[in-house]
Amino acid sequence: MELPELAALQHGDETAWDAAFDWLWPTAFAIAQLKLQPFLPEDIEDVAIEALEELVEKVRSVKAVEELKPLAASIAHHRAVSRLRERFAQKRGAGQVESLDKARDGDCPAPEPAAAESALAGLDEAELAGLLAELGADLKPELRGILEDFFVCGLSYEQIAAKRSVAVGTVGVYLKRGLEALRKAGQRQPKLLKELEAFLR
Amino acid sequence: MKPMNDQRFFDLAMKAIAHQASDAERAELDGLLAGNPALRSELGRLQAEAALAKEALSLVEASTAPAGKLPAYARDRLQTKVWESLGRPVEAGGKPDRSLAWGWRWWLGLAAAATAVIVGLVVFFAPASQVVVQVAVLDLAGTTRGASDADEALLRQTWQGAELRTFAAGDPLGPWLKTWPRNRGGTVVKVLYDRAAGEVQVTGQQAGRMFAKTFTVGAGLAASLKQVEEYLAAETRAKSDPDRRTNR
Repeated sequence: MELPELAALQHGDETAWDAAFDWLWPTAFAIAQLKLQPFLPEDIEDVAIEALEELVEKVRSVKAVEELKPLAASIAHHRAVSRLRERFAQKRGAGQVESLDKARDGDCPAPEPAAAESALAGLDEAELAGLLAELGADLKPELRGILEDFFVCGLSYEQIAAKRSVAVGTVGVYLKRGLEALRKAGQRQPKLLKELEAFLR
Repeated sequence: MKPMNDQRFFDLAMKAIAHQASDAERAELDGLLAGNPALRSELGRLQAEAALAKEALSLVEASTAPAGKLPAYARDRLQTKVWESLGRPVEAGGKPDRSLAWGWRWWLGLAAAATAVIVGLVVFFAPASQVVVQVAVLDLAGTTRGASDADEALLRQTWQGAELRTFAAGDPLGPWLKTWPRNRGGTVVKVLYDRAAGEVQVTGQQAGRMFAKTFTVGAGLAASLKQVEEYLAAETRAKSDPDRRTNR
């Protein structure tokens, strides 16, 4: 897909924005769905739209059109987390704390009940967008696949080895490389390091 | 720690963090940690990084979602946001488009006051080409029925054959403002009378260029509409006179 021109977007060109919305919608929707599907599925579409609305407001601060996708992801994440926090706070206030262990569709298990407690929420939108862009660009597909199998889907070393047709020992090597890459990316995000330090206390 | 042991510790730590360690592996990890504060610290760091990796990778994975169709209503809402936030492109001559200021005032006004909008569409023929004109009246102040009727009559008289419609309070003007009628090779014009502001805003598109002008309603709406007609006639002629396009 050909990306729209940033200058046209910054000048409010309707056609360019139509193309941008088609390009960015799957990302904003998927991020909102990731966070909200188990708890607030009815809010997914609204949060995705709100994220793109906020993106429109920020487009003049962007320097390259490629920055828009991670920025959309970042905004959608923060808005979804805020929505969860608001809703859970309301329920706590009303004494209606329901189980958060609802099942999640797809191959991976449900997210943890603490879905509204996000280490990444400590980053501002630009910082999170930068981190996601770095991870998306730096991690080779095979490495990223193994990391997702382990950290996101919860597969064991043996299951990943079978799925990816690699030696069990190789899985650990990949995981170690992946965390090192994440650590390097984090070193370029001072706030992320602070979040990690806070977690360690 | 030697590299080999380093990898072994890492694997044991990962399995323990993911609750996948066997009893034997758990015991082996405990043995490594015993009396080794540096390794305990490293385990804590790995726990934090694993939590972060889980969340960040979920986002990276989701952000590469390949498909999904933007709902039509969402596109309208988003284009309205573009209109409100960014306005229209600056014209070729570098003159800022006033439509942004209009847009904000309208939207704020729509939220605060009853709004009556009369919209019409009429086609007339100018010497150079067919021109499609869309007309709207915005009345944020809630004009009395008699005055509204008089405005409507003037608009009908100016652009005869217009089909007039009234919108309820809160109806968004954004889609009307940004949606231009099709007129292959011709000119399209929007005329909006803001009664509260005492202004008539005219915007148009002709052969890929845009033109816009605001008229103050000083000597009455009829006089202003006469000026609008003259302005549109001049702009329509500009299509066959390229020099005029850059002399606005």
